[in-house]
Amino acid sequence: MAAPEVFSIAQTPVTCHAFNADRSQLAVSLNDNDVQIYARQGNQWKVTETLAEHDKVITSIDWAPNSNRIVTASQDRNAYVWQQTLDPITGQMAWKPTLVLLRINRAATFVRWSPNEDKFAVASGARAIAICSFDSENNWWVARQLKKPIRSTVLSVDWHPNNVLLAAGSADMKARVFSAYIKDVDKRPTPTVWGEKLPFNTICGEYSSPAGGWVHTVGFSPSGDVLAYASHDSSISIVYPGGPAIYTIKINSLPYVTLTWTSENALVAAGHDCQPIVYSGSEGGWAAVGTLDDTSSGTAKAGSGARAGSIGRLNSAAFNTFRNADTRGQTQDESGQTELLTVHQNTITSVRPYDVGADGNVARVSTTGVDGKLVIWDVGAVSASGLAGRLGGMKI
Amino acid sequence: MSNSLRPYLAAVRSTLTAALTLEDFSSQVVERHNKPEVEARGSKEVLLNPLTISRNENERVLIESSVNSIRMSIKIKQADEIERILCHKLTRFLMQRAESFIVLRRKPVPGYDISFLITNVHAETMLKHKVVDFIIQFMEEVDREISEMKLSLNARSRTVAESYLAAFAS
Amino acid sequence: MSYRKIDIDVYDEDVLQESELYEPDPRDPAQVLSDAKQKQAAVRSSLAKGDIPGALDIALDSAPYGPDVDEAKNLTLQTVVSILNSTKSSEIPAVVKALSQDSQDTLMKYIYKGMGMPGWGDVSGSVLLGWHEKLTEVAGTGCIVRVMTDRRTV
Repeated sequence: MAAPEVFSIAQTPVTCHAFNADRSQLAVSLNDNDVQIYARQGNQWKVTETLAEHDKVITSIDWAPNSNRIVTASQDRNAYVWQQTLDPITGQMAWKPTLVLLRINRAATFVRWSPNEDKFAVASGARAIAICSFDSENNWWVARQLKKPIRSTVLSVDWHPNNVLLAAGSADMKARVFSAYIKDVDKRPTPTVWGEKLPFNTICGEYSSPAGGWVHTVGFSPSGDVLAYASHDSSISIVYPGGPAIYTIKINSLPYVTLTWTSENALVAAGHDCQPIVYSGSEGGWAAVGTLDDTSSGTAKAGSGARAGSIGRLNSAAFNTFRNADTRGQTQDESGQTELLTVHQNTITSVRPYDVGADGNVARVSTTGVDGKLVIWDVGAVSASGLAGRLGGMKI
Repeated sequence: MSNSLRPYLAAVRSTLTAALTLEDFSSQVVERHNKPEVEARGSKEVLLNPLTISRNENERVLIESSVNSIRMSIKIKQADEIERILCHKLTRFLMQRAESFIVLRRKPVPGYDISFLITNVHAETMLKHKVVDFIIQFMEEVDREISEMKLSLNARSRTVAESYLAAFAS
Repeated sequence: MSYRKIDIDVYDEDVLQESELYEPDPRDPAQVLSDAKQKQAAVRSSLAKGDIPGALDIALDSAPYGPDVDEAKNLTLQTVVSILNSTKSSEIPAVVKALSQDSQDTLMKYIYKGMGMPGWGDVSGSVLLGWHEKLTEVAGTGCIVRVMTDRRTV
């Protein structure tokens, strides 16, 4: 049960992050037009390169572990694929960009490599998803668009392990599963629970968020047979199309914006509540297990006796001082208790698998947030007391 | 009457915390633009239901939220004519200096006295719970300021009237 | 033809309309109204017996939403407000904990709707604020977020 490793990378929000295959390098976007490549030096991350090509904020980065290529998408409607080539002038490996013509007329919001790394999907505000594959004849990336029946900005995508199916969550309150089968790139996929014989742009499933919130994030389980999505109405839903069964969990705290599966039966979700929460279950049902952010132990911040981890940001130290002033007549302590009791001080924007353990399940996940921190969590260090305190806390 | 002030402020605080779940969202209507959706009102699906929190008919707070911005409007208690004038002058003074407040809106939403506009950029650069604290503190202090101003106004007018009429008494 | 005055955004087919954002109520308006009246009668008898949790369950179940059912909505709001007013403040936490999650969400919707119309019927600001505080303690800010996102406004 290791404590989380906390790295404070920047003073600005980290919009997105991606590690390379051996986790020695990290590509981040610090809420601006450039990609910063960090390399791990001992216990710290230092900037080694800056990749500047985009005109507007980079919204998403993905690093293909096997082919060592980086794809970046930005609000300037473009995506670039970066490859490391030998720079003849300096004699060192440098990242060279290749423009991808997405043919979208609005910002790109999210990008992910497919499992075989021969395609990538770009979600955009143009109500379309561009599936890009490499055309070796002309030596460039070609895009085909998934349009119907998307009615609003697509907020996130996730690939199925078979390299053909794609899940997408969008701002029209729906999570959909598409087939992104490209004729020359993919072999005919074997039938799955989502269907068989799926030409490009077939809808294999369409699911609504329970109380009408934008679907912020979607994820396929490691086998691809289960789909999870989290939406803005503070709920997380897990879909078993084989059942068919949908388990919706309504949560008491603020919505999640990102999730990742750690095993076939467990996933980690994080968002506006500034702490990653573990959910676990099976075909019979799902429930929250606990938080990875054990705020009761560790750094001794002088909490005024209220349980940590209870109803999200309402339990910050500042709120406690107001409550003390009201009930116990203690005037505000001006020592500036501005810190939240969680590790991340602001919304967590992205959670990714970091390490795979001996049993094949994800052992550690990395999160980055608006507070500029990168934290690596041990998935096993779940603290259920944080959740119990959530219900029992707030007693005056 | 002040025993409902605490639950009123607690309700405003929890609603603001729930509303301040903002993220960057590029405009769907105009390419390469990024505007506060609650002001632009271009797409219906990115706007959320507006919520009102009221203590009585004269004191209300309206919170309109969207994916990347929230607009919060306050109706301050104005019991009589003097308080109405003082409130109008105070809010006008603040709104003319809206730039230094960062989150203040230059014009109030119709039907309210003062409005705040908080966007995802503010939420990134400032701590969200401190922004909420600031607004709650503002709400408490505005009431106090207006009553203080009214007292000092009455005291001054009494002094002026006394000294003026004293000339006729002798 | 004054082409400059045409609002072309109205004719854009891709744009999502308000009505498409939620599932419409399957019952027709007359049915909704009669349901609301039945609920009012049932709630009145529950209140006479002093059964607050039962009354709340009846009132919050299948609340009317959407267009065309304004009378039913007002009726249900009046019913819910009468229950909230007649509960003692010491009993509120117990009542709130006994509600299901869906009922808690619907109750929060009615609390906000009541606060949006201060002075209407016997809506009392301080009563609603007291309920809001206790309900937030139990259901958390997630409940408030759901009221904001759910387009099925009561």
